[in-house]
Amino acid sequence: MVLLREEILKDVISEVFETMFFMDVAFEECQGAGRAFEYESETRLENNEGCLVVAMRIGEKFARMISANFMGIDEARTKDVDEDELVDCLRELSNMVAGGCHAHAGDSDWKLGIPRAWTTASGHGDATGEVFHLCFTFSGEPAGSAALRYLPG
Amino acid sequence: MAYNVLIVDDSGSMRKVMLKTLRLSGFQLGECFEASNGRLALDVLEKEWIDLIISDVHMPEMDGIEFLKSLKKMPMCSNIPVVFVTTEANEDRLKQLLDLGAGGYIRKPFRPEEIGTLLSRIMGGPNGFVARRNSEGCDF
Repeated sequence: MVLLREEILKDVISEVFETMFFMDVAFEECQGAGRAFEYESETRLENNEGCLVVAMRIGEKFARMISANFMGIDEARTKDVDEDELVDCLRELSNMVAGGCHAHAGDSDWKLGIPRAWTTASGHGDATGEVFHLCFTFSGEPAGSAALRYLPG
Repeated sequence: MAYNVLIVDDSGSMRKVMLKTLRLSGFQLGECFEASNGRLALDVLEKEWIDLIISDVHMPEMDGIEFLKSLKKMPMCSNIPVVFVTTEANEDRLKQLLDLGAGGYIRKPFRPEEIGTLLSRIMGGPNGFVARRNSEGCDF
């Protein structure tokens, strides 16, 4: 299985945020294991050798902003984004990032899985097989992180 | 002339995005119907006049490929243009969509103008659309 480089993941994340969420994020050095963010979503790319997990961890404030932008809700009304919509948007986020990784890697036998999302408080998150993670900010504030995990088949 | 559109996607937020995108693209939107998978989309087609279908590929219950296959077996609906909007990057699977009769596809992330350009081509331009199905609607 082809493993993706950090630079590719950065490019894909930037493109997804810019094109679909109308936001520019900046990448920064992660502090330790990365900050705790309230939401996590992941989409798997699988083939018969194993599984590449693209995980996005997003802070609540930023999650509300991107959800509002995504659905065309006025930025002043981000509180109107309900929990189901927010989780749905985060699923779409990891889905598009994973799809972008697939396109860049050019490994045609990968199969894109169904995206999932949850609150990190629920304890679903997992760092098994983590290859690397990236942290990003929006307007100078920590917004989230992205992790790539590899699980051999 | 305004066109009735059926948006098929298991993500409610993505359906909202598509609707917003259609409006931004300048597409002449009539009524918009929604379904969260291919099976429910077939139910909508049974009841409503649809000029264009915009569908996801990966969906539970009935995915986009199975939906397209079912649609193409229905003589009265088989010519309704279907555009897929997907994160799928596998060239073989994308080609399969076209081979099955999809009008086109757009990969996510996308810009509104990409949707507008593709729909303009598929629908024959803003004023060039020719109704592609029987006036009696779909026969199940």
